[in-house]
Amino acid sequence: MTHKQKLTRRELLRSSAVAAGTLVLTGAPGPLAYAQGSDTIRVGVVGCGGRGSGAAHNCVESSAGVQIVALADTFADRIEKLKGDFKVPEDRCFVGLDAYKKVMALDDVNLVILATPPGFRPVQLAEAIRQGKHVFMEKPVAVCPAGIKMVIEASELAEQKGLGIVAGTQRRHQNEYVETMKRVLDGAIGEIVSAQCYWNMGGLWCHKRQANESDIEWQIRNWLYFTWLSGDHICEQHVHNIDVVNWAFGDVLPETAHGIGGRQFRTGEEYGHIFDHFGVEFTYPNDVRTISTCRQIEGTAGNVSERVVGTKGWTDCYSRIEGENRWRYRGPRSDAYVQEHTDLIKSIRDGKPLNEGKRIANSTLCAIMGRESAYSRQQFKTSWFTSRCTLDLLPAADLKLSDSRPVPAVAVPGQYELPGWTQQGRRNRG
Amino acid sequence: MASSDNDKSTLRKNAATAGVVAAAASIGQMAHAQGSGKIKVGLLGCGGRGNGALEQCLQADPGIEVIAMADLFEGKVRRTRDNFMKKEQYQGRIKIDDDHLYWGYDCYEKLARCEADLLLMATAPAFRGRQMMAAIKAGKHIFTEKPVATDVAGCKEVMAASKLAKEKGLAIVCGTQRRHEFSRMELMKRIHDGAIGELVGGQCYWYGGGIWFRGASDGMSELDWQCENWYHFTWLSGDQICEQHIHNIDVLNWCFNGPPARFMAVGGRQWRDANQDQVRIAKEVCRKFTGGEDNWQKYSGDIWDHIYAEFEYPNGARCLSFSGHSPGTGRNGEKIVGTKGTSDCNHNITGQNAWTYQGENVDGMLREHIDLIQSIRSGNVLNEGQRIAESTLTAIGARIAAFTGQEVTWDWLMNESKQSLVPSQADLMAGKPLYHAVATGCDPLV
Repeated sequence: MTHKQKLTRRELLRSSAVAAGTLVLTGAPGPLAYAQGSDTIRVGVVGCGGRGSGAAHNCVESSAGVQIVALADTFADRIEKLKGDFKVPEDRCFVGLDAYKKVMALDDVNLVILATPPGFRPVQLAEAIRQGKHVFMEKPVAVCPAGIKMVIEASELAEQKGLGIVAGTQRRHQNEYVETMKRVLDGAIGEIVSAQCYWNMGGLWCHKRQANESDIEWQIRNWLYFTWLSGDHICEQHVHNIDVVNWAFGDVLPETAHGIGGRQFRTGEEYGHIFDHFGVEFTYPNDVRTISTCRQIEGTAGNVSERVVGTKGWTDCYSRIEGENRWRYRGPRSDAYVQEHTDLIKSIRDGKPLNEGKRIANSTLCAIMGRESAYSRQQFKTSWFTSRCTLDLLPAADLKLSDSRPVPAVAVPGQYELPGWTQQGRRNRG
Repeated sequence: MASSDNDKSTLRKNAATAGVVAAAASIGQMAHAQGSGKIKVGLLGCGGRGNGALEQCLQADPGIEVIAMADLFEGKVRRTRDNFMKKEQYQGRIKIDDDHLYWGYDCYEKLARCEADLLLMATAPAFRGRQMMAAIKAGKHIFTEKPVATDVAGCKEVMAASKLAKEKGLAIVCGTQRRHEFSRMELMKRIHDGAIGELVGGQCYWYGGGIWFRGASDGMSELDWQCENWYHFTWLSGDQICEQHIHNIDVLNWCFNGPPARFMAVGGRQWRDANQDQVRIAKEVCRKFTGGEDNWQKYSGDIWDHIYAEFEYPNGARCLSFSGHSPGTGRNGEKIVGTKGTSDCNHNITGQNAWTYQGENVDGMLREHIDLIQSIRSGNVLNEGQRIAESTLTAIGARIAAFTGQEVTWDWLMNESKQSLVPSQADLMAGKPLYHAVATGCDPLV
């Protein structure tokens, strides 16, 4: 990591001081811990599973002066690895569904990594911002419109408080994408008339239910397969690709979504109730219609990519532009999983914290719309979804690990209730 | 019509008529004015579409006379004949004696041997290849409903029959009526002339609420019932993407002047077995054939209810195909996207060369018969066989990509696929039912 070796303690102090100065001038209310005399970014990790562990290491690797100082997870066994990796004292490791609150209550923590299942993200983000912490959060950031609303509100509050929010859609920090998309947004392929994005793959891990596990414990340990926790795989994974297409459109949201999907192969009860494939048409302004597919079926053809087509050419969004303004990315290739942390921490130290909250909320919203459209087989407008859909999958404030919660029915068109839809008075035909 | 006319003299007379007619504005009117030049027609498949096609054929040209009918079921052939005999407007033009009513799994062979000039084919698509081949060998012109196959082997058989028809100067017109609508014909001319620039994207849709599900009548064998309830078995209908959505797929192929190079698709069966009407009938059928209801899902059919496919055409353009049946938002139509504009593939072009069709609107389902008969009379026969085989194979290619989860290329379909779903004629004659498991989404590629 180039930063780590090059940045001296003095430079760090200087950049922190500048940051603090800026904040004072802009009247940002939340005091930054490191501006209070420490040059260290002190990180609390909320959610110590695979991605949380990865993000913690990426964060430390990204910049000098970063320490992991507190950990939280629903389960004690999940904390052990990071606790050992970063020598986090026992009294700074918190366990349970409310463990995140304890990390965020620590005064010396100035950045939190949110990497629990996405269903918990809106509540945890809101708490982090309330407590004045900068945030790195994994994608997606919600699983329902109610959660999206919370994330947008928290992001607006973060803006007011001068807090940074970066989301784990690492393509936005990856040189190849950044350089390509800069050109696309500058018109290199002309006006966009078509686009495609895919996350087609095999299967993922699965946690089979153990005899001693309650409904809630099993569902959280096996969170991928429950919509209230993961948002289904269109939300959990494919949001990356949808986010890239949104990026190409200048982060303008699609106007409608119409999806189909189902659970054709992965039908065992260990896989909860989510689908194994989706196909969604997102229609952007000017009736520009796009293809989006995602699939998790073992042994099928893989394809994780994006493609955007304009009146003057097309791009793979990644390093290649074809057509009138043919171009290839020839620059350095960085590790985007690290770069996203580098960018966040630099922005904090520069006093101009990045805030990607609304943007990732919007891309997450698209994925949720695609899912709900496929569950219900209804086409609807984004404006309807954001204003009238009453779907709320947020965890109850008093949720307990010992709670019972039956697995929801697999969505079947004609039976699945899209909350708020009937009020529209345009129930489907057939 | 002189009953002594044999095939050759009728056709010769027709050809002579056409010579006169070709110079005139409207063949239909000329034929009517002339009142002669009979074309003898046999109908194969007496269901809803067969009845409809025969009506349209009769309306297309007053020189049409119906001399034979065939269907799997005797009752259906007789009912259809009797119904048409009763229709005032066709009096004197339905001349079918009992010897020209054919039924059974080999009815198409018998029909091919009768003295008809033109056969209308409207049975379930599974058998179209062998039906067309037999008809062409026997020297018949063909009107065939779409699609023309349910598997790769069937498409190839139609391609071969089409080639043979070309050699023998026989006509093949297919019931993809959009190809005969004046508005679309004018529009496609402009698209092919570059009105919307290079084609870089497109979409086509047929998403509907569902379809009938038929029970088994007394006396039906299991195979008979499958054929009666043909829509619900992939080997019989080709699944909905093939049976219905082919119309829209054919329009995209028309835009690109040929089939896609590559297919990717996802899909499944999420709703059909939750459709209570269907489940009730499937259970009745199950009870009838097995004495219990335990295996009802076997009798609920094997087709999917949604397929979302991407076609990549040879120029790299990727297009969406969106089809299925279930409650939800229905959609039907096409859109083509170019570098200079877009089109609804129907009446309008937007963009640099904006245009709206202002001419006459015709009923494509009637017009396709007029065009066919006109081409027969002129001696310059239409042959849409290869084209409709390609569009059918396009739908089947997407279905294969969906059923297997693999990417499939046109070259693979044409050169390597061994897919053959339809039973042999011997197995059909022996009455063997055929059930396939519902596709998993990662079936082996065959």
